[in-house]
Amino acid sequence: MSNKFVEQGLRSPVNLTWEVTLACNLRCRHCLSSSAEPAANELNTAEALALVEQLHQEGVFQINFGGGEPFMRPDFLQILDACHARGIMTCISTNGTLITPELVEQLSRTRLVAIQVSLDGAEKSTCEAIRGKGTFEDAIKALELLTLSPIPTSINTVLTKENADEIQAMQQLAEQLGVTLRISRFRPSGRGADNWEELRPSPSQLLAFSAWLAENNNVRTGDSFFSLTSQERQGLGLNLCGAAKLTCCVSPTGMVYPCAFLQSDRFEAGDLRQNSFKEIWDNSEIFESFRGLRIHSCEDCQRFDQCHGGCPAVAYHLKDDIQGGDPECLERCVTSIADDRKKSNAA
Amino acid sequence: MAAAGIKLHPACRVRRERFGLLFYDSRGPRLLFAETGSLLAPDYFESVRSRQDLPEGLSAQQKKVLQNFITKLLERGFLREQ
Repeated sequence: MSNKFVEQGLRSPVNLTWEVTLACNLRCRHCLSSSAEPAANELNTAEALALVEQLHQEGVFQINFGGGEPFMRPDFLQILDACHARGIMTCISTNGTLITPELVEQLSRTRLVAIQVSLDGAEKSTCEAIRGKGTFEDAIKALELLTLSPIPTSINTVLTKENADEIQAMQQLAEQLGVTLRISRFRPSGRGADNWEELRPSPSQLLAFSAWLAENNNVRTGDSFFSLTSQERQGLGLNLCGAAKLTCCVSPTGMVYPCAFLQSDRFEAGDLRQNSFKEIWDNSEIFESFRGLRIHSCEDCQRFDQCHGGCPAVAYHLKDDIQGGDPECLERCVTSIADDRKKSNAA
Repeated sequence: MAAAGIKLHPACRVRRERFGLLFYDSRGPRLLFAETGSLLAPDYFESVRSRQDLPEGLSAQQKKVLQNFITKLLERGFLREQ
């Protein structure tokens, strides 16, 4: 069932992703934004602080900071402080390499921050094959430091072909460390597009993961896997794409997009150097089109009420058709496996 | 000892929307859409107050609806007693 209040349009997003910089000290193979060096003309400190004030005025509840590595940005703590001074809750996605005891102590002074440390395997070799040498130990060190603080901390794992068989072990690792596990969907954007075929989970892996999720309600996924999750689990959250309805994305240079996985000219909703956030949220044609998006090709599917066509970003990246339905939804995984069996039986 | 009051849970936020109030719980995260119209302002939940302390000018029926609503918010963890 859809949500009539969301469809009527909210006055601002509930939360948004703000990629504060493209600078990153790692070169992860699945990176959604191909982070490496800072983008030319990233928002400066004054522009970033002005945006925080705008988001506060519009009633945005939470900002999810990503990048790049947010802590690579010299003024990042200043931006965080500005959020917290206004009561805006924050969540930081970090690779953990720059987490120090001093930084943890500083972040602990507010009760408004949560941290997700990226870790892409329960085995060092699995994680390092995706994220690079030394990343496993750095992430574990960061997690151990954070667990000594009151900061709500989670491991964030992007499900790939290489780590799909380690998800249960990831959960055990999270439990040993005293943190929660959050699993995100791998999508073919940024460097992730270049490495899509190597890293994409197979339909059988996705199906197994879907069954595992149904048994593990304490594992968070955000809305990443709403096209894969069971009806029971969907009681934990919304069952539709929230892009331009509940959330959106701000790029390092102040461009606004429906979501972090659709940061291209085609999906540009506005430029914060030209228009206010409110003007963009209220008037963007791209946002209007997302709010009216109906995946008619999926309407006859028995699971339509559970996913409403799934993730438009995956549909766009794989089929160049935002209205085509999620190519990796649960139904399509089942069909794909059945087709493969038929082919193999015929052979 | 002061009587227990209610207040928005620190992990939660609330804002006004056209339909009434939108509650956000960062622990889920989860949302609660409340069709309260203009009966309650978001800042009602910002300070500790008695459950009987409702805005003036409401009918008995409206007060009853709001008190039930506040009970529901408490049960769902959006408010807490302190």
